[in-house]
Amino acid sequence: MIFGFDANKARKDFPVLSKDIIYFDNACMSLKPLQVIERINEYYKEYSACAGRSAHKLASRVENEVAKSREELRKIVNAKKQEEIIFTRNTTEGINLVANSIGLRKGDEVIISDKEHNSNLLPWLKLRKNGMIVKICPGNSDGTFNLENFEKLISKKTKIVSVVFTSNVDGVTNPIKGICKIAHDNGSLVLADGAQAVPSHEVDVGGLDVDFLAFSGHKMLGPTGTGVLYGKKKLLEKMDQFIIGGETVTNTNYDSYEMEELPMKFEAGLQDYAGIIGLGEACRYLKRVGLGSIKKQELKLNALISRELLKNEKIRILGPGDAGQRSGIFSFNIKGMNPHNVSKILENSRNILTRSGMHCVHSWFNSRKIGGSVRASMYFYNTEEEAEIFVGEVQKICKAF
Amino acid sequence: MVLCIVALPVFAILGIFSLRYRKLAVESLHCLFRTAIFRPCRSGLDENIKSSITGKVMKYSPKAAGAMYRHYRILSLLFLIVLLLSAYWTAAGVYNYWKYGNCNGPEETGFCMFDPAGENSRISETDVDSITQVVIPKVENGDPLIGNPNAEITIIEFGCYACPFTKKAEPIINEVLEHYKGKVNLQFRTFYIPNHNLSYTSALAANCAMEQGKYLEYHKKLFEMQESMAKDKLFAIADSIGLEQKNFTLCMESNRYRQEIDSDSLAGIHGGVRGTPTFFINSQRIAGPKPFRTFKTIIDSELKK
Ligand SMILES: Cc1ncc(COP(=O)(O)O)c(C=O)c1O
Repeated sequence: MIFGFDANKARKDFPVLSKDIIYFDNACMSLKPLQVIERINEYYKEYSACAGRSAHKLASRVENEVAKSREELRKIVNAKKQEEIIFTRNTTEGINLVANSIGLRKGDEVIISDKEHNSNLLPWLKLRKNGMIVKICPGNSDGTFNLENFEKLISKKTKIVSVVFTSNVDGVTNPIKGICKIAHDNGSLVLADGAQAVPSHEVDVGGLDVDFLAFSGHKMLGPTGTGVLYGKKKLLEKMDQFIIGGETVTNTNYDSYEMEELPMKFEAGLQDYAGIIGLGEACRYLKRVGLGSIKKQELKLNALISRELLKNEKIRILGPGDAGQRSGIFSFNIKGMNPHNVSKILENSRNILTRSGMHCVHSWFNSRKIGGSVRASMYFYNTEEEAEIFVGEVQKICKAF
Repeated sequence: MVLCIVALPVFAILGIFSLRYRKLAVESLHCLFRTAIFRPCRSGLDENIKSSITGKVMKYSPKAAGAMYRHYRILSLLFLIVLLLSAYWTAAGVYNYWKYGNCNGPEETGFCMFDPAGENSRISETDVDSITQVVIPKVENGDPLIGNPNAEITIIEFGCYACPFTKKAEPIINEVLEHYKGKVNLQFRTFYIPNHNLSYTSALAANCAMEQGKYLEYHKKLFEMQESMAKDKLFAIADSIGLEQKNFTLCMESNRYRQEIDSDSLAGIHGGVRGTPTFFINSQRIAGPKPFRTFKTIIDSELKK
C-alpha cells in the first residue's frame, strides 16, 4: 500500500463483508481474505500430504510451505530465528505449553495482571495444586497497568510474569517493555499474551526483550484454530516437552526416547498444515496493508466513536477516555440496560455485530461487580461510515430506551 | 419471563417442523420452570426475544422500540392473554368444525377458517328484523312429511326452491333420511326469498301439486330444474308428472295458498331463521348446508334423549 491505505479497497478481499453487516467483533475473530482462503484450498486441492515423515515430492512441498510460513511469522514478530516460532492451535495452547513446561515447583510464584483472559488465568490457577503461588497485580482504575504495584509484588520467588499485551476487554496495551525490564532485573521470565496485540501492532520481540509471546492466527486474518508461541531459543531448548508423541522425537526404545530439536519438539502429531500455510499468507497480507496503517485505521475509528459517544452521559466505557489508549476496542454500557440486550438490538436494527458479556475475563468483571459490557472491536477493513452508523444507533437507544 | 409461557407453545408447534425450534421449545420449558421457582431464566431466552423484537422495531421507530422495551412485561402479559384466548377459540373452532361443519357452531353462518369459502354455511339471506323472542317452530299437522310419518324425530327445513344453498342441502338431507330410515322424517316449509327468481311462485306450485297428492315428485323436480326455472316450466313439470292441468292452473291463478306460504315464512322468522336453508331438529337450529356429520351429531344426541 505505497499510495496510502484504503479500507474500501481492502474490503473487496473479504467475502463475508459483501453481506449486509457491520462486523464489529474483530477481537473475537477476524474475517478472512480471499488470498488466505485460496491458499488453504490450494493445499487441499494440490498437495494435501504429510510434512516431515515422508520424503516424496508432495511431502516436501508441504514441508517447504510450512517453513515459508514459519519465516513469515518470524518476521511479523521480528524473532531472531525460525526455531523460535512454535505452531499451536491458539493462544490458549501456547500459554498452557509454557505454564506446564518451564518447571514450576512448589513455592514458585507467578504474577499475572488483574485483567487476564481465562486463557491466561486458568493455566496458572490450575498449578496451585502443586504448591505454586499466583499473585494478581492490581491495575489502575482506568484499566491501565500499574508498574509500581508490580514492582512491589515481584520477589525473588517470582519465576514468571504472565500478562496480557493488549486487553480484549478495554483495548489497553500494557507496558511490556517496562515489565520485562523489571522482571529480568529480578531474574524472572515474562510471557505476553499477544492475542489482541499482534493483529494490529508492530510487535518486536527483540526490542521488547519478552521471553514468550503467545498469539492466535484467527484474530489476524488467519484460519481458525491456528496459533503461535514465540519463545527465546535458549529457553525453549531448556524447557520440558508438553504434548508428546509423533514428530516430537527422533528415536524411541521401549524404555527411552530422544527428543527432537526445536521447533518440532513442541509440535506433536500431524499439524494443521493447511492452517499453518494459510496463516503464513495472512502475514503476507498484513504486511502488504502495513501494521502501521492497521493501527492508524483502528485508532481513527475508535476516536470517532469515542468523541461522539462519550458526550452521552448514559454511556459508560471501560478503560481510559482517550481512544488512543484503547486500540480498536470500544467497550461500553448504557445506563440501566443489560449489555446482551443492547448487542441484540444493534444486531436487529442495523446488523451491527458486537459481542456482549464478560469476554472471557469474568474475574475482572466479577471483582468490580460489573455485569459485562458491549464490545465493539474494529479492524482495518471497517469504515468511518460504519462507525457513524454505529454511533447513530447507540445514540438512538440511549435516547429512546 | 411471561414470554416463556408464550414462547413455549409457539416453539413447540414450530418444533414439529424444525430442530432449531425444538431446541428453543426446550429452552422455553426451562425458562418456564425457572419462572415457577422465581429465578431468572438462565438462557436469557426471554431477554433475547425482547431485544430482537425491539431491535427490529427500532428500524422504523426508535421511540416505539424504546416504549416497547420499557413496557415489555405488560405487553407480553397482554400478548399471553391474547394467545390463551385465541388458543381457546381455535380449539373451540376446531371442535365445532369437526362436529358441526362450522367453527362457530351449527347455528352460525359466519366465517370459518377451515371452510374459507363457507361452503357449509352459506344461506340465502333475507332482510328480517331480528326478533326478540325465539319460538321454535313445531311440526305442522296436515303439511306433508317426507319419510316415515311415525318417525321419532322430524327435521323441519325452511327452504326455498329457487335458492342454490337449499338445493345444495338436498343430497345431504337425503343421506340423513336414508341413514335414519324410519326414525327421522322431514317437513319442508317454504321460506321464500323475494329477490330470488320465482321463489314464491315455486312454493305456490308445490302446494298446488300437494293438492293433487303429488307433492314429493313436484318438490324433487323443482330442485332438479332449479337453474333453468321459468314460469311456463312450472306448468310443464305439472304436466310431466301427470297432474290434472285445469285444476293445477286454477290453483295457481287463485293464489289460494298465499296465507299458508306466508305463515310458513313467519314461523321461520319467529324461529330465528335468517335465510335458507335452515333446519330445526327439535330445538337445535342448523343454518346452511352443513355436512352430514353435523346432522348426525345432533340427531344421535336427540335420539338418546
Ligand atoms: C487477550 C486474549 N487472550 C487470549 C485469548 C484466547 O485466544 P484463543 O481462544 O485463540 O486461544 C483471547 C481471545 O479472545 C484474547 O483476547
